[in-house]
Amino acid sequence: MSDHIGQAQGQIDFYLAALRKQLAGLPAKDVEEILLELRGHIVERAAEGDSDQNRTSVEQILRQLGTPEQIGSLYRTDAMVAHARASLSPALIIRTTIRWATKTVLGFVAFLVGALGYALGASLIVCAILKPFFPENIGLWINPHGMVLGAQMPKPHGHELLGWWIIAYGLALGMAFIFGTTVFLRWMLRFVPRASPRVASIV
Amino acid sequence: MAENGLENWEAQIRKGWLDVAILAALWKGRLYGLEIIRELESRSDLVLTEGTVYPLLARLRKDGLIEGKWEESDSGHPRRYYKLTAAGRSRAQALAKQSHEFLLKIDALIQPLLKEQMR
Repeated sequence: MSDHIGQAQGQIDFYLAALRKQLAGLPAKDVEEILLELRGHIVERAAEGDSDQNRTSVEQILRQLGTPEQIGSLYRTDAMVAHARASLSPALIIRTTIRWATKTVLGFVAFLVGALGYALGASLIVCAILKPFFPENIGLWINPHGMVLGAQMPKPHGHELLGWWIIAYGLALGMAFIFGTTVFLRWMLRFVPRASPRVASIV
Repeated sequence: MAENGLENWEAQIRKGWLDVAILAALWKGRLYGLEIIRELESRSDLVLTEGTVYPLLARLRKDGLIEGKWEESDSGHPRRYYKLTAAGRSRAQALAKQSHEFLLKIDALIQPLLKEQMR
């Protein structure tokens, strides 16, 4: 009998340890509360039924609960979105957006706009940085065909407007683009669909 | 293949209704996780994988629709009781109204199919 209980306890501990691994990266307090809540669930389920024969086996309870991967991935996706929404790190935000882009059309559109915004911002900054090394080939030219901006080989015809100012403008505008894109994507992330539980295990 | 399609579709439907069902389950008062699951299991077919209800509860909590409070219990483990916040109550009512209207329309739409089946 005590052997039986010991074995059940071992199964529960094993399951929760696997879940703890899945929850790596979440705030420690959240992890402890999640594990405490699920342990309570399992123990109380196990005590259901009036006799030992009627009791559900721990195995069955754990199967009904779902795999640690299933549960952990739901918690992780939510945590990642919440984290990115509160962050100003382009890397984290674009990572989250990519994850979203693989799931819905809106996510994909957000990713395209975001990628374009970051690319534009980055190329403006690169122009500003390269200006001192290629002063003749970087600038904003105006000629009868229109305007040409950026790095050009060979140097285009027409009048160059910005001169050394392109460093200041490029840096300011580039950073503004990157910041603006970040704020935009952060705002878009509120439309990430609710990570609904996988309610049916489809085999 | 066709069978699998039907199951998939069923899973999608369940997904969409689960948060409405959780808010509705909490309408009359506070419950802890397993009580919510039992309530849904006895009154709907929404829950198949029990453990996935907990992340959804966490999400609703972060959205400010419900709040959780730990309490000691005689089962030997503390329980986290959930209850609707003011925002949760008004969201639940709005969802209930929308769902009801939506279901009436769908019901009217599928009635002819059901009659056909009974014949």
